Amino acid sequence: MKEIIHGSILRSLVLGAVLLTSHLALASDKSVLDRIKAANEPFDTMKIDSTHPLSMKTVRSNDSYQGGTFKVLTRKDSIERFRCSGCHKDKKVQVRDGVSFTHGDIVINHGSEGTSLSCSDCHNEKERDFLVGKKGQKIDFDHSYQLCGKCHFRQKSDWVGGAHGKRVKYWAGERVVYNCATCHNPHSPRFKKRMPATFSRPLDE
Amino acid sequence: MNSPKKKEGQMKKKDMPDTQCSRRSFLKTTSIAAAAGSASLVTGCIPGKNSGSSEEFKLKWEEYFKEHYRLMTQEEKDATISRLVRLAKLQRGLDLQMSSRPAREQVLYGYAFNISRCEGYMDCVKACVKENNLDRKSKTQYIRIFEMEPGQLDPSTGDAKYFHEVPVDNKFYMGVQCFQCENAPCVKACPTKATWREPDGIVVVDYDWCIGCRYCMAACPYWGRRFNWGKPEIPDEEVTTKQHYLGNRIRPMGKVEKCTFCVQRTREGKLPACAEACPTGSRVFGNLLDPDSEIRYVLKHKKVFRMKEELGTDPKFWYFID
Repeated sequence: MKEIIHGSILRSLVLGAVLLTSHLALASDKSVLDRIKAANEPFDTMKIDSTHPLSMKTVRSNDSYQGGTFKVLTRKDSIERFRCSGCHKDKKVQVRDGVSFTHGDIVINHGSEGTSLSCSDCHNEKERDFLVGKKGQKIDFDHSYQLCGKCHFRQKSDWVGGAHGKRVKYWAGERVVYNCATCHNPHSPRFKKRMPATFSRPLDE
Repeated sequence: MNSPKKKEGQMKKKDMPDTQCSRRSFLKTTSIAAAAGSASLVTGCIPGKNSGSSEEFKLKWEEYFKEHYRLMTQEEKDATISRLVRLAKLQRGLDLQMSSRPAREQVLYGYAFNISRCEGYMDCVKACVKENNLDRKSKTQYIRIFEMEPGQLDPSTGDAKYFHEVPVDNKFYMGVQCFQCENAPCVKACPTKATWREPDGIVVVDYDWCIGCRYCMAACPYWGRRFNWGKPEIPDEEVTTKQHYLGNRIRPMGKVEKCTFCVQRTREGKLPACAEACPTGSRVFGNLLDPDSEIRYVLKHKKVFRMKEELGTDPKFWYFID
Protein backbone atom coordinates (compact mmCIF):
# COMPACT_ATOMS: atom_id res chain seq x y z
CA MET A 1 0.00 0.00 0.00
CA LYS A 2 2.73 2.44 1.07
CA GLU A 3 4.71 1.66 -2.04
CA ILE A 4 1.75 2.42 -4.20
CA ILE A 5 1.26 5.78 -2.52
CA HIS A 6 4.94 6.56 -2.88
CA GLY A 7 4.80 5.53 -6.48
CA SER A 8 1.85 7.78 -7.20
CA ILE A 9 3.52 10.72 -5.44
CA LEU A 10 6.67 10.11 -7.46
CA ARG A 11 4.65 9.92 -10.65
CA SER A 12 2.84 13.15 -9.92
CA LEU A 13 6.15 14.82 -9.07
CA VAL A 14 7.68 13.73 -12.36
CA LEU A 15 4.58 14.84 -14.23
CA GLY A 16 4.66 18.18 -12.41
CA ALA A 17 8.30 18.68 -13.26
CA VAL A 18 7.65 17.91 -16.90
CA LEU A 19 4.72 20.29 -17.00
CA LEU A 20 6.75 23.01 -15.28
CA THR A 21 9.70 22.71 -17.61
CA SER A 22 7.47 22.67 -20.64
CA HIS A 23 5.85 25.84 -19.32
CA LEU A 24 9.28 27.43 -18.85
CA ALA A 25 10.29 26.41 -22.32
CA LEU A 26 7.19 28.15 -23.64
CA ALA A 27 7.82 31.28 -21.59
CA SER A 28 11.42 31.70 -22.64
CA ASP A 29 10.47 31.18 -26.30
CA LYS A 30 13.24 33.22 -27.93
CA SER A 31 14.68 36.44 -26.60
CA VAL A 32 14.99 39.54 -28.73
CA LEU A 33 18.76 39.25 -28.75
CA ASP A 34 18.54 35.66 -30.02
CA ARG A 35 16.19 36.73 -32.76
CA ILE A 36 18.49 39.60 -33.72
CA LYS A 37 21.49 37.30 -33.81
CA ALA A 38 19.64 34.86 -36.02
CA ALA A 39 18.53 37.54 -38.49
CA ASN A 40 21.36 38.03 -40.96
CA GLU A 41 19.44 38.06 -44.20
CA PRO A 42 19.04 41.63 -45.54
CA PHE A 43 15.43 42.78 -45.47
CA ASP A 44 14.18 44.39 -48.66
CA THR A 45 12.59 47.57 -47.33
CA MET A 46 11.48 48.47 -50.84
CA LYS A 47 8.80 45.82 -50.58
CA ILE A 48 6.94 47.99 -48.06
CA ASP A 49 4.72 49.41 -50.77
CA SER A 50 3.04 52.13 -48.73
CA THR A 51 5.96 54.56 -48.85
CA HIS A 52 5.66 57.51 -51.20
CA PRO A 53 8.26 59.74 -52.85
CA LEU A 54 9.21 62.71 -50.69
CA SER A 55 8.28 66.23 -51.68
CA MET A 56 11.75 67.51 -50.76
CA LYS A 57 14.62 67.55 -53.26
CA THR A 58 17.21 64.86 -52.69
CA VAL A 59 20.58 63.92 -54.11
CA ARG A 60 22.42 60.60 -54.05
CA SER A 61 25.19 60.61 -51.48
CA ASN A 62 28.80 59.94 -52.47
CA ASP A 63 29.07 57.65 -49.46
CA SER A 64 27.34 54.35 -48.96
CA TYR A 65 26.09 52.73 -45.78
CA GLN A 66 25.81 49.05 -44.78
CA GLY A 67 22.71 48.70 -46.97
CA GLY A 68 24.14 50.29 -50.15
CA THR A 69 23.80 53.83 -51.46
CA PHE A 70 21.44 56.38 -49.96
CA LYS A 71 20.12 59.86 -50.56
CA VAL A 72 20.47 63.12 -48.66
CA LEU A 73 18.30 66.22 -48.70
CA THR A 74 19.77 68.89 -50.93
CA ARG A 75 21.24 72.04 -49.47
CA LYS A 76 21.57 74.47 -52.36
CA ASP A 77 17.81 75.02 -52.63
CA SER A 78 17.61 76.32 -49.11
CA ILE A 79 20.51 78.76 -49.36
CA GLU A 80 18.80 82.06 -50.05
CA ARG A 81 21.45 83.78 -52.14
CA PHE A 82 22.82 80.80 -54.02
CA ARG A 83 24.58 80.97 -56.53
CA CYS A 84 27.32 82.87 -54.74
CA SER A 85 29.07 83.69 -57.99
CA GLY A 86 26.11 85.90 -58.87
CA CYS A 87 27.74 88.59 -56.73
CA HIS A 88 31.24 87.22 -56.14
CA LYS A 89 32.73 88.08 -59.52
CA ASP A 90 34.30 91.14 -61.08
CA LYS A 91 31.02 92.99 -60.71
CA LYS A 92 31.29 96.48 -59.32
CA VAL A 93 29.32 97.01 -56.11
CA GLN A 94 27.92 100.31 -54.94
CA VAL A 95 28.76 101.41 -51.42
CA ARG A 96 25.11 101.77 -50.40
CA ASP A 97 24.56 98.07 -51.09
CA GLY A 98 27.54 97.16 -48.94
CA VAL A 99 25.48 96.37 -45.83
CA SER A 100 23.59 93.53 -47.48
CA PHE A 101 26.65 92.27 -49.35
CA THR A 102 29.03 91.83 -46.44
CA HIS A 103 27.04 89.02 -44.81
CA GLY A 104 26.92 91.07 -41.62
CA ASP A 105 24.05 88.93 -40.36
CA ILE A 106 26.21 85.82 -40.07
CA VAL A 107 27.67 85.15 -36.64
CA ILE A 108 30.38 82.53 -36.58
CA ASN A 109 30.31 80.42 -33.45
CA HIS A 110 31.99 77.30 -34.75
CA GLY A 111 35.13 75.79 -33.34
CA SER A 112 36.50 76.14 -29.84
CA GLU A 113 37.86 79.43 -28.51
CA GLY A 114 41.14 80.44 -30.03
CA THR A 115 40.75 78.08 -32.97
CA SER A 116 37.47 79.57 -34.17
CA LEU A 117 36.83 79.07 -37.85
CA SER A 118 36.83 81.82 -40.44
CA CYS A 119 34.95 82.00 -43.77
CA SER A 120 37.76 80.66 -45.91
CA ASP A 121 38.22 77.56 -43.75
CA CYS A 122 35.11 76.15 -45.42
CA HIS A 123 34.28 78.39 -48.37
CA ASN A 124 36.23 78.12 -51.58
CA GLU A 125 37.90 81.46 -52.32
CA LYS A 126 38.53 80.75 -56.00
CA GLU A 127 35.36 78.98 -57.00
CA ARG A 128 32.74 80.77 -55.00
CA ASP A 129 29.92 78.26 -55.65
CA PHE A 130 31.76 75.52 -53.78
CA LEU A 131 33.12 74.68 -50.38
CA VAL A 132 36.75 73.75 -49.88
CA GLY A 133 38.35 70.78 -48.12
CA LYS A 134 41.55 70.89 -46.08
CA LYS A 135 43.66 69.96 -49.09
CA GLY A 136 41.94 72.40 -51.41
CA GLN A 137 39.38 69.98 -52.88
CA LYS A 138 36.20 71.44 -54.33
CA ILE A 139 33.13 70.26 -52.35
CA ASP A 140 29.59 70.74 -53.58
CA PHE A 141 27.16 72.41 -51.17
CA ASP A 142 24.78 69.44 -51.51
CA HIS A 143 27.55 67.17 -50.28
CA SER A 144 28.64 69.41 -47.43
CA TYR A 145 28.75 66.32 -45.14
CA GLN A 146 32.07 65.54 -46.81
CA LEU A 147 33.45 68.81 -45.48
CA CYS A 148 31.93 68.44 -42.00
CA GLY A 149 33.34 64.92 -41.80
CA LYS A 150 36.88 66.27 -42.19
CA CYS A 151 36.82 67.33 -38.53
CA HIS A 152 33.75 65.54 -37.20
CA PHE A 153 34.75 62.16 -38.57
CA ARG A 154 33.16 60.26 -35.68
CA GLN A 155 29.82 61.94 -36.18
CA LYS A 156 30.22 61.40 -39.90
CA SER A 157 30.64 57.64 -39.61
CA ASP A 158 27.72 57.50 -37.17
CA TRP A 159 25.65 59.55 -39.60
CA VAL A 160 26.45 57.21 -42.47
CA GLY A 161 25.61 54.17 -40.34
CA GLY A 162 22.49 55.64 -38.76
CA ALA A 163 23.39 56.50 -35.15
CA HIS A 164 23.66 60.25 -35.79
CA GLY A 165 21.11 62.34 -37.64
CA LYS A 166 17.92 60.77 -38.89
CA ARG A 167 15.97 59.44 -41.79
CA VAL A 168 13.30 61.55 -43.41
CA LYS A 169 9.76 60.42 -42.62
CA TYR A 170 10.14 56.68 -43.39
CA TRP A 171 12.00 53.77 -41.82
CA ALA A 172 11.27 51.72 -44.95
CA GLY A 173 11.71 52.40 -48.64
CA GLU A 174 14.79 54.05 -50.09
CA ARG A 175 16.96 55.56 -47.38
CA VAL A 176 16.82 59.36 -47.36
CA VAL A 177 18.59 61.19 -44.53
CA TYR A 178 18.89 64.77 -43.40
CA ASN A 179 21.99 66.65 -44.45
CA CYS A 180 24.24 67.97 -41.64
CA ALA A 181 23.15 71.52 -42.34
CA THR A 182 19.44 70.65 -42.29
CA CYS A 183 19.64 70.52 -38.50
CA HIS A 184 22.87 72.36 -37.66
CA ASN A 185 23.42 75.96 -38.70
CA PRO A 186 26.93 75.57 -40.16
CA HIS A 187 28.02 78.95 -38.83
CA SER A 188 26.75 78.22 -35.33
CA PRO A 189 26.21 74.49 -35.14
CA ARG A 190 25.27 73.98 -31.49
CA PHE A 191 21.52 73.81 -30.85
CA LYS A 192 20.15 76.87 -29.11
CA LYS A 193 18.60 76.89 -25.66
CA ARG A 194 14.85 77.27 -25.76
CA MET A 195 11.67 76.47 -23.86
CA PRO A 196 10.34 72.91 -24.23
CA ALA A 197 7.44 72.43 -26.65
CA THR A 198 5.13 71.29 -23.85
CA PHE A 199 5.22 70.13 -20.22
CA SER A 200 4.15 67.08 -18.23
CA ARG A 201 1.86 66.79 -15.27
CA PRO A 202 3.27 64.92 -12.27
CA LEU A 203 2.51 61.20 -12.41
CA ASP A 204 1.15 61.02 -8.86
CA GLU A 205 -1.28 63.92 -9.20
CA MET B 1 -25.49 -2.14 -9.61
CA ASN B 2 -24.40 -0.32 -12.71
CA SER B 3 -27.59 -0.65 -14.64
CA PRO B 4 -29.63 2.16 -13.06
CA LYS B 5 -26.73 4.56 -13.52
CA LYS B 6 -26.48 3.57 -17.12
CA LYS B 7 -30.17 4.03 -17.53
CA GLU B 8 -29.98 7.46 -16.00
CA GLY B 9 -27.13 8.38 -18.29
CA GLN B 10 -29.00 7.16 -21.31
CA MET B 11 -32.08 9.00 -20.28
CA LYS B 12 -30.16 12.20 -19.85
CA LYS B 13 -28.54 11.80 -23.20
CA LYS B 14 -31.91 11.25 -24.75
CA ASP B 15 -33.43 14.21 -23.04
CA MET B 16 -30.53 16.54 -23.40
CA PRO B 17 -31.03 18.12 -26.81
CA ASP B 18 -34.42 19.56 -25.94
CA THR B 19 -33.72 20.80 -22.44
CA GLN B 20 -30.27 22.11 -23.23
CA CYS B 21 -31.48 24.04 -26.20
CA SER B 22 -34.24 25.78 -24.39
CA ARG B 23 -32.08 26.42 -21.35
CA ARG B 24 -29.30 27.88 -23.45
CA SER B 25 -31.55 30.08 -25.47
CA PHE B 26 -33.33 31.20 -22.33
CA LEU B 27 -30.03 32.10 -20.64
CA LYS B 28 -28.81 33.82 -23.77
CA THR B 29 -31.81 36.08 -24.10
CA THR B 30 -31.89 36.95 -20.41
CA SER B 31 -28.16 37.62 -20.21
CA ILE B 32 -28.22 39.82 -23.29
CA ALA B 33 -31.15 41.73 -21.88
CA ALA B 34 -29.42 42.03 -18.52
CA ALA B 35 -26.16 43.15 -20.11
CA ALA B 36 -27.96 45.68 -22.20
CA GLY B 37 -29.94 46.93 -19.23
CA SER B 38 -26.99 47.28 -16.92
CA ALA B 39 -24.86 48.77 -19.67
CA SER B 40 -27.40 51.47 -20.39
CA LEU B 41 -27.79 52.18 -16.70
CA VAL B 42 -24.16 52.17 -15.66
CA THR B 43 -22.08 53.33 -18.59
CA GLY B 44 -24.61 54.66 -21.02
CA CYS B 45 -23.09 52.50 -23.74
CA ILE B 46 -26.45 51.46 -25.04
CA PRO B 47 -28.56 54.52 -25.36
CA GLY B 48 -32.28 54.74 -24.94
CA LYS B 49 -34.39 54.95 -28.03
CA ASN B 50 -34.74 58.69 -27.82
CA SER B 51 -31.01 59.47 -27.79
CA GLY B 52 -29.40 59.69 -31.21
CA SER B 53 -30.69 58.43 -34.52
CA SER B 54 -31.91 54.90 -34.95
CA GLU B 55 -28.88 54.24 -37.16
CA GLU B 56 -26.54 55.32 -34.38
CA PHE B 57 -28.45 53.12 -31.95
CA LYS B 58 -28.14 50.13 -34.25
CA LEU B 59 -24.41 50.67 -34.79
CA LYS B 60 -23.72 51.06 -31.09
CA TRP B 61 -25.73 47.95 -30.38
CA GLU B 62 -23.74 45.92 -32.90
CA GLU B 63 -20.48 47.35 -31.57
CA TYR B 64 -21.38 46.31 -28.06
CA PHE B 65 -21.66 42.64 -28.95
CA LYS B 66 -18.66 42.32 -31.22
CA GLU B 67 -15.92 39.70 -30.92
CA HIS B 68 -12.40 40.02 -29.47
CA TYR B 69 -10.15 41.50 -32.17
CA ARG B 70 -7.92 38.45 -32.42
CA LEU B 71 -10.90 36.17 -32.91
CA MET B 72 -12.45 38.30 -35.63
CA THR B 73 -12.32 37.27 -39.26
CA GLN B 74 -11.18 39.91 -41.73
CA GLU B 75 -14.82 40.54 -42.67
CA GLU B 76 -15.70 41.15 -39.04
CA LYS B 77 -12.74 43.50 -38.68
CA ASP B 78 -13.85 45.41 -41.76
CA ALA B 79 -17.39 45.53 -40.39
CA THR B 80 -16.43 46.94 -37.00
CA ILE B 81 -14.14 49.48 -38.65
CA SER B 82 -16.89 50.65 -40.98
CA ARG B 83 -19.20 50.92 -37.95
CA LEU B 84 -16.65 52.99 -36.03
CA VAL B 85 -16.02 55.23 -39.04
CA ARG B 86 -19.76 55.73 -39.54
CA LEU B 87 -20.27 56.45 -35.82
CA ALA B 88 -17.54 59.10 -35.88
CA LYS B 89 -19.28 60.68 -38.86
CA LEU B 90 -22.70 60.59 -37.18
CA GLN B 91 -21.53 61.79 -33.79
CA ARG B 92 -18.84 64.33 -34.62
CA GLY B 93 -18.89 64.78 -38.38
CA LEU B 94 -15.36 63.38 -38.67
CA ASP B 95 -14.10 61.66 -41.81
CA LEU B 96 -11.85 58.90 -40.50
CA GLN B 97 -9.62 56.52 -42.40
CA MET B 98 -9.22 53.53 -40.12
CA SER B 99 -6.97 50.59 -40.87
CA SER B 100 -6.60 47.07 -39.56
CA ARG B 101 -3.34 46.38 -41.37
CA PRO B 102 -1.70 43.30 -39.84
CA ALA B 103 1.97 43.00 -38.93
CA ARG B 104 4.47 42.84 -41.81
CA GLU B 105 6.43 39.67 -42.24
CA GLN B 106 10.08 39.57 -41.19
CA VAL B 107 9.68 42.80 -39.21
CA LEU B 108 10.39 43.29 -35.52
CA TYR B 109 10.33 46.90 -34.46
CA GLY B 110 13.05 48.28 -32.23
CA TYR B 111 13.90 51.67 -30.83
CA ALA B 112 17.05 53.33 -29.58
CA PHE B 113 17.31 56.57 -27.62
CA ASN B 114 20.50 58.61 -27.54
CA ILE B 115 20.86 60.00 -24.03
CA SER B 116 23.87 62.07 -24.99
CA ARG B 117 22.00 63.88 -27.77
CA CYS B 118 18.55 64.55 -26.31
CA GLU B 119 18.26 68.20 -25.25
CA GLY B 120 14.84 67.96 -23.56
CA TYR B 121 12.92 70.08 -26.09
CA MET B 122 9.89 67.74 -25.80
CA ASP B 123 8.85 68.12 -29.43
CA CYS B 124 8.36 64.34 -29.36
CA VAL B 125 5.78 64.58 -26.56
CA LYS B 126 3.82 67.23 -28.42
CA ALA B 127 3.87 65.25 -31.66
CA CYS B 128 2.80 62.08 -29.83
CA VAL B 129 -0.21 63.77 -28.20
CA LYS B 130 -1.36 65.08 -31.58
CA GLU B 131 -0.74 61.87 -33.52
CA ASN B 132 -2.29 59.49 -31.01
CA ASN B 133 -5.40 61.53 -30.20
CA LEU B 134 -4.57 61.77 -26.51
CA ASP B 135 -6.99 63.41 -24.11
CA ARG B 136 -6.18 67.12 -23.92
CA LYS B 137 -8.14 67.71 -20.73
CA SER B 138 -6.15 65.37 -18.49
CA LYS B 139 -2.97 66.13 -20.47
CA THR B 140 -2.34 62.43 -21.03
CA GLN B 141 1.11 61.75 -22.47
CA TYR B 142 2.70 58.45 -23.46
CA ILE B 143 6.24 59.84 -23.39
CA ARG B 144 7.98 61.23 -20.35
CA ILE B 145 11.27 63.12 -20.57
CA PHE B 146 13.28 63.13 -17.37
CA GLU B 147 15.88 65.77 -16.61
CA MET B 148 18.67 63.82 -15.00
CA GLU B 149 21.72 64.49 -12.90
CA PRO B 150 24.97 63.24 -14.44
CA GLY B 151 25.83 59.72 -13.41
CA GLN B 152 22.25 58.73 -12.65
CA LEU B 153 20.53 56.23 -14.91
CA ASP B 154 17.34 55.59 -12.95
CA PRO B 155 14.56 57.91 -14.18
CA SER B 156 12.92 57.93 -10.73
CA THR B 157 15.80 60.16 -9.63
CA GLY B 158 15.07 62.59 -12.47
CA ASP B 159 12.67 65.49 -12.84
CA ALA B 160 9.83 64.96 -15.32
CA LYS B 161 8.01 68.19 -14.49
CA TYR B 162 10.62 70.67 -15.67
CA PHE B 163 9.50 73.70 -17.61
CA HIS B 164 12.41 76.04 -18.17
CA GLU B 165 14.92 76.75 -20.91
CA VAL B 166 16.65 73.56 -22.02
CA PRO B 167 19.22 72.12 -22.19
CA VAL B 168 20.48 72.99 -18.71
CA ASP B 169 24.24 72.71 -18.38
CA ASN B 170 25.50 69.55 -16.75
CA LYS B 171 22.15 67.71 -16.98
CA PHE B 172 21.04 65.07 -19.44
CA TYR B 173 17.64 64.01 -20.68
CA MET B 174 16.12 60.56 -20.81
CA GLY B 175 12.87 59.63 -22.53
CA VAL B 176 10.66 56.85 -21.19
CA GLN B 177 7.68 55.32 -22.95
CA CYS B 178 6.29 51.81 -23.51
CA PHE B 179 9.27 49.58 -24.32
CA GLN B 180 7.17 46.93 -26.14
CA CYS B 181 8.69 44.13 -24.05
CA GLU B 182 9.07 40.80 -25.76
CA ASN B 183 8.26 39.12 -22.43
CA ALA B 184 5.72 41.71 -21.34
CA PRO B 185 4.42 41.55 -17.75
CA CYS B 186 1.35 43.61 -18.69
CA VAL B 187 0.24 40.94 -21.15
CA LYS B 188 0.46 38.26 -18.48
CA ALA B 189 -1.44 40.38 -15.97
CA CYS B 190 -4.47 41.07 -18.16
CA PRO B 191 -7.46 39.00 -16.98
CA THR B 192 -9.44 39.44 -20.20
CA LYS B 193 -6.60 38.93 -22.69
CA ALA B 194 -7.32 42.41 -23.99
CA THR B 195 -3.63 43.14 -24.47
CA TRP B 196 -1.12 41.07 -26.39
CA ARG B 197 2.09 41.18 -28.40
CA GLU B 198 1.70 41.36 -32.15
CA PRO B 199 4.03 39.37 -34.46
CA ASP B 200 5.99 42.56 -35.24
CA GLY B 201 6.66 42.99 -31.53
CA ILE B 202 4.21 45.79 -30.72
CA VAL B 203 2.17 45.31 -27.56
CA VAL B 204 -1.37 46.43 -28.35
CA VAL B 205 -4.69 46.74 -26.54
CA ASP B 206 -8.15 45.83 -27.78
CA TYR B 207 -9.76 48.93 -26.30
CA ASP B 208 -13.19 47.35 -26.49
CA TRP B 209 -12.17 44.30 -24.49
CA CYS B 210 -10.24 46.16 -21.83
CA ILE B 211 -12.30 46.26 -18.65
CA GLY B 212 -10.19 48.99 -17.09
CA CYS B 213 -8.99 46.94 -14.11
CA ARG B 214 -5.48 48.44 -14.48
CA TYR B 215 -3.70 45.23 -13.45
CA CYS B 216 -1.41 45.84 -16.43
CA MET B 217 -0.46 49.25 -15.08
CA ALA B 218 0.51 47.67 -11.79
CA ALA B 219 2.47 44.97 -13.60
CA CYS B 220 4.45 47.36 -15.82
CA PRO B 221 7.83 48.25 -14.27
CA TYR B 222 8.31 51.17 -16.68
CA TRP B 223 5.20 53.34 -16.13
CA GLY B 224 4.32 52.60 -19.75
CA ARG B 225 0.51 52.62 -19.54
CA ARG B 226 -2.10 55.31 -19.03
CA PHE B 227 -5.69 55.12 -17.84
CA ASN B 228 -8.57 57.03 -19.36
CA TRP B 229 -10.41 58.52 -16.39
CA GLY B 230 -12.76 60.56 -18.51
CA LYS B 231 -14.14 60.74 -22.00
CA PRO B 232 -11.19 61.92 -24.12
CA GLU B 233 -11.54 65.53 -25.19
CA ILE B 234 -9.92 66.47 -28.49
CA PRO B 235 -10.96 69.47 -30.59
CA ASP B 236 -12.45 68.28 -33.91
CA GLU B 237 -9.86 70.11 -35.99
CA GLU B 238 -7.00 68.48 -34.06
CA VAL B 239 -8.16 64.87 -34.42
CA THR B 240 -5.72 62.72 -36.40
CA THR B 241 -8.05 61.02 -38.86
CA LYS B 242 -5.61 58.41 -40.16
CA GLN B 243 -6.15 55.76 -37.51
CA HIS B 244 -5.53 52.12 -36.73
CA TYR B 245 -7.95 49.92 -34.79
CA LEU B 246 -5.16 48.91 -32.39
CA GLY B 247 -3.48 52.29 -32.42
CA ASN B 248 -4.60 55.88 -32.26
CA ARG B 249 -8.37 55.54 -32.61
CA ILE B 250 -10.10 57.62 -29.97
CA ARG B 251 -10.34 55.35 -26.92
CA PRO B 252 -13.55 55.03 -24.94
CA MET B 253 -13.63 56.16 -21.30
CA GLY B 254 -12.27 53.84 -18.61
CA LYS B 255 -9.68 52.00 -20.71
CA VAL B 256 -5.96 51.55 -20.39
CA GLU B 257 -4.03 52.88 -23.34
CA LYS B 258 -0.39 52.99 -24.35
CA CYS B 259 2.27 53.79 -26.89
CA THR B 260 2.12 51.43 -29.86
CA PHE B 261 5.22 52.78 -31.66
CA CYS B 262 2.50 54.56 -33.71
CA VAL B 263 1.27 51.30 -35.26
CA GLN B 264 -0.85 53.32 -37.70
CA ARG B 265 2.33 54.88 -39.08
CA THR B 266 5.00 52.22 -38.67
CA ARG B 267 3.05 49.51 -40.48
CA GLU B 268 2.84 51.94 -43.41
CA GLY B 269 6.63 52.31 -43.42
CA LYS B 270 6.67 55.66 -41.62
CA LEU B 271 8.66 56.56 -38.54
CA PRO B 272 6.75 56.96 -35.28
CA ALA B 273 5.60 60.54 -34.69
CA CYS B 274 8.13 61.04 -31.86
CA ALA B 275 11.05 59.97 -34.03
CA GLU B 276 9.92 62.19 -36.89
CA ALA B 277 9.46 65.19 -34.60
CA CYS B 278 12.77 64.88 -32.75
CA PRO B 279 14.92 67.92 -33.68
CA THR B 280 18.15 66.36 -32.38
CA GLY B 281 18.10 62.92 -34.00
CA SER B 282 18.15 61.21 -30.62
CA ARG B 283 15.49 58.72 -31.64
CA VAL B 284 16.44 55.81 -33.89
CA PHE B 285 13.76 53.44 -35.09
CA GLY B 286 13.83 50.46 -37.39
CA ASN B 287 13.55 46.79 -38.13
CA LEU B 288 15.59 44.64 -35.75
CA LEU B 289 15.52 41.74 -38.21
CA ASP B 290 17.22 43.80 -40.94
CA PRO B 291 21.00 43.68 -40.45
CA ASP B 292 21.35 46.85 -42.56
CA SER B 293 18.94 48.96 -40.53
CA GLU B 294 19.95 51.97 -38.44
CA ILE B 295 18.79 50.33 -35.22
CA ARG B 296 21.04 47.35 -35.87
CA TYR B 297 23.95 49.73 -36.53
CA VAL B 298 23.36 51.33 -33.12
CA LEU B 299 23.19 47.96 -31.37
CA LYS B 300 26.39 46.83 -33.04
CA HIS B 301 28.54 49.96 -32.75
CA LYS B 302 27.33 51.87 -29.71
CA LYS B 303 27.33 51.39 -25.97
CA VAL B 304 23.75 50.37 -25.32
CA PHE B 305 21.71 49.35 -22.30
CA ARG B 306 18.10 48.57 -21.53
CA MET B 307 16.23 49.76 -18.49
CA LYS B 308 15.84 47.21 -15.69
CA GLU B 309 17.16 44.47 -17.93
CA GLU B 310 17.52 42.20 -14.90
CA LEU B 311 13.73 41.83 -14.71
CA GLY B 312 13.77 39.69 -17.83
CA THR B 313 11.06 41.69 -19.57
CA ASP B 314 13.22 41.81 -22.70
CA PRO B 315 12.28 45.31 -23.87
CA LYS B 316 12.82 46.38 -27.48
CA PHE B 317 13.99 49.85 -26.46
CA TRP B 318 17.65 50.62 -25.92
CA TYR B 319 19.45 53.66 -24.58
CA PHE B 320 22.79 54.55 -26.09
CA ILE B 321 25.59 57.04 -25.72
CA ASP B 322 27.78 58.50 -28.43
